Amino acid sequence: MSVIASWTQIPAAIGAEAASTLVVAPLLIALVTAVASLLSGRWHRGRIGVSVLGALAYLLAVAAIDWYIVLAPDAPGIATYQVGGWVAPFGITLVVDGLSAFMLTMVAVIGMASLLSSIRVLPDLDRHRYYFPLFHFLMVGVTGAFLTGDLFNLFVWFEVMLMASYLFVAYDGNALQTRAAFWYVSLNLVASAVFLLGVGGLYATAGSLNMADLSRRLAEPAAYGIDPVPVVGLFGLLLAVFAIKAGLVPFQFWIPSAYQAAPPQIAALLAGATKKVGIYAIIRLSFTVVGDAPVDVSLAVPFTGFEMAGDSPLVFVGAALFAMAIASIFVGGLGAIGGRSIESVLAYSSIGQVGFIALPVAIAAVVPGLRTFGIVAALVYALNHTLAKGLLFLAVGAVRTATGTSRLAELGGLAGRSPSLAVPFFVGLLALVGIPPLSGFFGKFLVFDVAARTASSALVVVVVAGSVLSLVYATRLWTRSFWGPQSTAVETAVADHVQAAVLLALALAIVGVGVGFEPVYAFAEAGAEAALDADAYVEAVDPADEVSTGSGGDH
Amino acid sequence: MTAIVVATVVGALCAIGTYLLLQQDLVRVVWGLSLLSQAANVYLLAMGNILPAGPDAVPVLAGHGEPPSGVTDPLVQALVLTAIVIGFGMTAFALFLSYRVYQEHGTLALAELAEADEAGDRR
Repeated sequence: MSVIASWTQIPAAIGAEAASTLVVAPLLIALVTAVASLLSGRWHRGRIGVSVLGALAYLLAVAAIDWYIVLAPDAPGIATYQVGGWVAPFGITLVVDGLSAFMLTMVAVIGMASLLSSIRVLPDLDRHRYYFPLFHFLMVGVTGAFLTGDLFNLFVWFEVMLMASYLFVAYDGNALQTRAAFWYVSLNLVASAVFLLGVGGLYATAGSLNMADLSRRLAEPAAYGIDPVPVVGLFGLLLAVFAIKAGLVPFQFWIPSAYQAAPPQIAALLAGATKKVGIYAIIRLSFTVVGDAPVDVSLAVPFTGFEMAGDSPLVFVGAALFAMAIASIFVGGLGAIGGRSIESVLAYSSIGQVGFIALPVAIAAVVPGLRTFGIVAALVYALNHTLAKGLLFLAVGAVRTATGTSRLAELGGLAGRSPSLAVPFFVGLLALVGIPPLSGFFGKFLVFDVAARTASSALVVVVVAGSVLSLVYATRLWTRSFWGPQSTAVETAVADHVQAAVLLALALAIVGVGVGFEPVYAFAEAGAEAALDADAYVEAVDPADEVSTGSGGDH
Repeated sequence: MTAIVVATVVGALCAIGTYLLLQQDLVRVVWGLSLLSQAANVYLLAMGNILPAGPDAVPVLAGHGEPPSGVTDPLVQALVLTAIVIGFGMTAFALFLSYRVYQEHGTLALAELAEADEAGDRR
């Protein structure tokens, strides 16, 4: 009762100044936490305390952003922070709108869970002195990528995020880890070079790198003397880079080895957070930035007689995403069925799941009438994937702590030995498959709905086949590891209480999202509308030319 | 003329980088990655041009007296500087990692490492 009373007392609005400060808060909190945990030297308790407090503060800051900037009755919907007082398009702009707030919320939740779970698996803390600083630097990179308002800063934040993740993939330093890390680093260095080529080309063609400025220029290319056609090709380069980050087929090959090499707690973060950075960048750039450029397109799909036509580069984005999403669903699903350890099944499964996220985005790009709905479906599915896959990877960590292994051949009968691990794991699997009333049900349902509304039976078949594949590998995972006779490793297993509690909390969150789906849907819809409302984005970041040139004269 | 020279240089760097990237030896792969990112840097530098000076093009010039008649676009130079720093860090890390790979496997030949990968999957 008192909780409800205090909830209603939350003021519904704050000033523009405060909103602007709020934008930069998560980034600063993560950075300060990273540095503070680095400075705590050999005082391990202090470092753990700082880490948890920092993650908690991050969570609160993101919650405040969600409420004051996006969800409150008279929230502005979008807020900006111009770094150093240099206004866009010259300065570095940080922007929060519904889309980035939605993504930040997912990352904050899974980050907290992963951190709490990590504390229990690092008994030899002196060896793991850099684990927590690295963890927070990873969060800094992810947060920066969601907040940044210009393309080159997106590149820089990607690199910040990647540097931390490279070290995590190589973390245990064994043969498998060094190999996986080398593939991962090489691929991402090539991707970074391609990213730079795309950014440089866009700057030379369109004359700006600020996303709002780019969006305005590309919407009226004639007024700025831009030829929008080369932009489509350059954007294609960027799309490939983002697809690598998201792990879409044909750029998926690094995922299984990297996810198996990284500590499971970090794999939860890689699947839950860094993958979403790729998805976020695809949605933001496709719909907010290049979506309005006038380019006449007529694209025949080979062998089907189907033709995609339109007047924006989104048709190309849609075509590419369709191919990548459908291939991902099958490659991931089939690969997961053959996995030999829990994390290899989960790694392949997350390739398939990201296909399920990309498919509604592709539909949104091609069918203008389904635009908002398609992005909502993608966001809800992404949320489910973050929660369920995060839970499952953290469960791998808990199973390893308890039994010392995660290979399917050495597991069996965990359900009888340790119900506190089995129940959340089962919930996570059900969410992945999409059983009501869990969050996964709505994710799958919305994707089905969007595919059905395109009136293309082929798409519906793909979605159904993908769901059947996920059912198969989820069943296999469950029967091999949790059912059956107890193996020798399982007989003596004792689940860690804190890890089990984190899993239970995530399982409750999955159920909670499913049962109280209304506000989640409203949030996702706010995110989709923010992604599509390029005018509001431009207006918020760079309010009209006259103003910026006018203030320049005051100096 | 300059444009042709720069384009040739970028093309040559990309070609050599790609060639090295496809070699069997890990250290050559790192060299290839390094050359490829240098190609991207040179390309990025070529994307700027001469601008009329003034606070509209170069905000730092505002409040610093009479601006000169023309300046090179400072934005691309700032971008390249950042990209070079990141590229150096990454190259150092990749070199270090190839050393660790050598320590763990006793080889730098990619074919043998790929075999180890497959054996690892079969465990």
